Amino acid sequence: MLRPAYDLTFYEFDDERDPKIYDVLLCDLVHGKPPLKPLYFGIGWYWYVYAIMNAAETLRLPTTKGWGYRVVDGYPYITAIRTSQKEAEERGPIFREEIKPFIENFDGIWDPFKSELMGIYKQAKESRGLREWDDIKKLSNIDLLKFFMDFAFVINRKEAEIHMLMLVASYYINGLFQQMWREIFGKEAAIDPAFHRLMTGYEAQDSRVFRELWKLARKAVHMGLENAFKTENNEEVLKDLEKSDEGRKWLKEYREFLVEHGWRCERMHAYDNPAWIEKPGLAIGRIRLLLPQESFAFDTERGRVIQEREETEKEVLAKLPVEKREWFGTLMKSAQKSGYWSEDHTYFCDFYVGAMGRWIVTEFGRRFAEAGCIDHPEDIHFLHANEIRKAAIPMADVNLRPYVERRKEAWERSFKLDPPPFYGNIQKAQEVLRSDPTLSVSTQLPIVREELKADLYGAAAAPGVVEGVARVIMGADQLSELKKGEILVAPGTSAAWTVAFSFVKGLITDGGGALSHPVIMAREYGIPCVAGCLEGTKKIQTGMKVKVDGNLGVVYILK
Amino acid sequence: MSERYVFWLQELGQEHCETFGKKCGNLGEMAKIGLPVPPGFALSVEAYKNFMTQTNARGEIENYLCQLGGNIENIEQFNQTSKDIRQIAESKEMPDAMKELILSYYDQLCRKCNCADIAVSTRSAGPASHPGQYETYLNVKGKTDLLEKIRKVWASSFNPRSLAFRKRKGLPLENDPIGVAVLKMVNARAAGVVFTADPNTGDTSRMIIEANWGLGESVVSGELMPDVYILKKDTLGIHEKKLGRKSKYVTCKELGVAEEECPADLSGAFCLTDEEAKEIGRLGILLEKHFGLPQDVEWAIERDSELSKGIIILLQTRPAVIAQKKSPVDQVADLMLNLFSKR
Repeated sequence: MLRPAYDLTFYEFDDERDPKIYDVLLCDLVHGKPPLKPLYFGIGWYWYVYAIMNAAETLRLPTTKGWGYRVVDGYPYITAIRTSQKEAEERGPIFREEIKPFIENFDGIWDPFKSELMGIYKQAKESRGLREWDDIKKLSNIDLLKFFMDFAFVINRKEAEIHMLMLVASYYINGLFQQMWREIFGKEAAIDPAFHRLMTGYEAQDSRVFRELWKLARKAVHMGLENAFKTENNEEVLKDLEKSDEGRKWLKEYREFLVEHGWRCERMHAYDNPAWIEKPGLAIGRIRLLLPQESFAFDTERGRVIQEREETEKEVLAKLPVEKREWFGTLMKSAQKSGYWSEDHTYFCDFYVGAMGRWIVTEFGRRFAEAGCIDHPEDIHFLHANEIRKAAIPMADVNLRPYVERRKEAWERSFKLDPPPFYGNIQKAQEVLRSDPTLSVSTQLPIVREELKADLYGAAAAPGVVEGVARVIMGADQLSELKKGEILVAPGTSAAWTVAFSFVKGLITDGGGALSHPVIMAREYGIPCVAGCLEGTKKIQTGMKVKVDGNLGVVYILK
Repeated sequence: MSERYVFWLQELGQEHCETFGKKCGNLGEMAKIGLPVPPGFALSVEAYKNFMTQTNARGEIENYLCQLGGNIENIEQFNQTSKDIRQIAESKEMPDAMKELILSYYDQLCRKCNCADIAVSTRSAGPASHPGQYETYLNVKGKTDLLEKIRKVWASSFNPRSLAFRKRKGLPLENDPIGVAVLKMVNARAAGVVFTADPNTGDTSRMIIEANWGLGESVVSGELMPDVYILKKDTLGIHEKKLGRKSKYVTCKELGVAEEECPADLSGAFCLTDEEAKEIGRLGILLEKHFGLPQDVEWAIERDSELSKGIIILLQTRPAVIAQKKSPVDQVADLMLNLFSKR
């Protein structure tokens, strides 16, 4: 029987048929919790799944043709579409050639893609005379519709194709590196501090963005504006700054920062969270946290981190037999570059395209509500792209409420649910994960080590051991609840959460492997982190005392 | 007087590879620089030509091929053609002058070795290196046997694989002059090859020795698992040694050689001492330095004479065919494919 999925055709889970076809479907906790809304499933999610398949076919991945996926009770479940033995043999030699340029020069492929993406976004805005968030209100209905279609069918597609091609190459290179690490050193890379030292100290775009924020914080201090940030209410801060010349001067600079770097939503893969440029108060919270910092943590840590990395590189190579050093060095370098990519790309891919999608659909929401098609602008998230496309032409004469209502109800039910971590045969999970290493971007099985008698097992994502009080945070909008010195427990984090890393003591996440966002950022900031422990947010409650062992990748609940 | 076509090995050098075949030229070169090679002499490719012309074998072969009209398409035809042509060449009596000349060298070799009817090996030596293409005859004794085996070596230039090779390359079928080395037979206790670089990976910091009991033929043929020694070139230290499965070995009979079951006490024991392996390695390095390229060397350790016991004798050297060393990127791509094609 098909389980309804917001009327998304082909996304419904078939209880009988699907477990037979797919062996096992694993819940994407990293991106899918809290549950995604229908509009995002139909656009952003679709293009990512399409693009994984496109990458699998472009590179002729031997064992997978991409992701199979279903939406069950509002949560995405993914698996590999595995190839036959014969297909694997045919694809292998082509794959071997296609992956070589990535091994050879990962940056050399990524850099032109970055420029291409920024060119696409710039062109999309400039050709329509758009610069600031509110500029989109100037577009006629038909121009807004054109922008929507360009976005949904061209811009997002292009972004996804680049994004997933790089992602696949990155995961394959890292997968091989971790495998070789295991074979040569007899250790799991995910729980080996030396491995993490190797992957650290590259300056991703997000570090640059946060350095800009820190500079703004410094300026505020120098301009004597610190008092304006005293209130916890970010909107009040903005109002207060408007009152003085210095404040207005600072705000002007802040505005420029947002026009440049504010194209990011708090939640990466969703259209229902505001972007910084849309809601300038969001990044004010970040600046408040940075105010007391006289130096930028990343910059002060960086020298040490790079030195440690370089020393580790030498140590690792010295441990190898001479004949292995050359290829291992090549593999290590490409693994480092592709690890760095996983942090760098979020700015150019996830954030920018997500914010642009939000920009357009939010404007549609506003107009649809105004025209009486829906009750609230935010109801737009319960429609599908094709419904928006059709309703956009008459705009006024369409009643979209019936579609919205039943999907909204379904979403609200899902929100309260604890999604099962998998459907099908969990025994097959290792096999499925092995056949498609990219699945670990979204889902990973913890390495359970009974002898440690821990409460949670995950990946030792960033080294160090720390005890503290847990704070369970389910979404970015709750981030302000965090108190200094607490241990953050989250389903997963996006790079937008990075700022929290400057004052939390430790991090525990439900999803994500060694290359997922939280892991890389925690490493940069030197915060002990255990990632991918599946049930962190379920077993731990705010206020509990926990011990995070980032060396071993385990968590103990103390009381 | 026609060109001189029999030379002592020590009279030859690399410059004679064209006229006496590569094996003879390189053996001469080794002798010249004082490396241990068996005493012996060599027949130039002129000897082959003279024999074929003076006996009219050449004319008959040409006629035969002419009648065939170039119709050799399948293996049976190659085999039949080969059989017929070899029959023509082998059936010819050697011209008297040639016979006398060759036997005079053989006599001198016998005197030198202080042994009547000294056992020799008659080895083919092509001007181009085609390992294993022509025949070699081992443990040849006495004048009649020697002259017959020399004719057989020459005739082996018409064996099926040589014919097929020339046909494929568009070379003339009727004629393929090769040299012959006549070397004092080394009745080897153990023998084998040394590569002065790893032929599989191209790693030039290592040497690989493969060895078995008895004559080197069992190693060269690649039919069994010899003992393997991996030596570090800089220190001659033994990096690794692997005991082979030496189920058989090749040994000298009264005449000729035979492959026999290896006695259990031998098959389970290394056939070289570490010192012998190092000495083989040392000689290999000397050869590589002298020739300027990694070498593929055949060697043997004398069994019989008390005097020469344990002495390593070099039977052949040639540039080693080394796998083009793969670029690191290709090595990683291979590992990648290997890891990610397991379903």
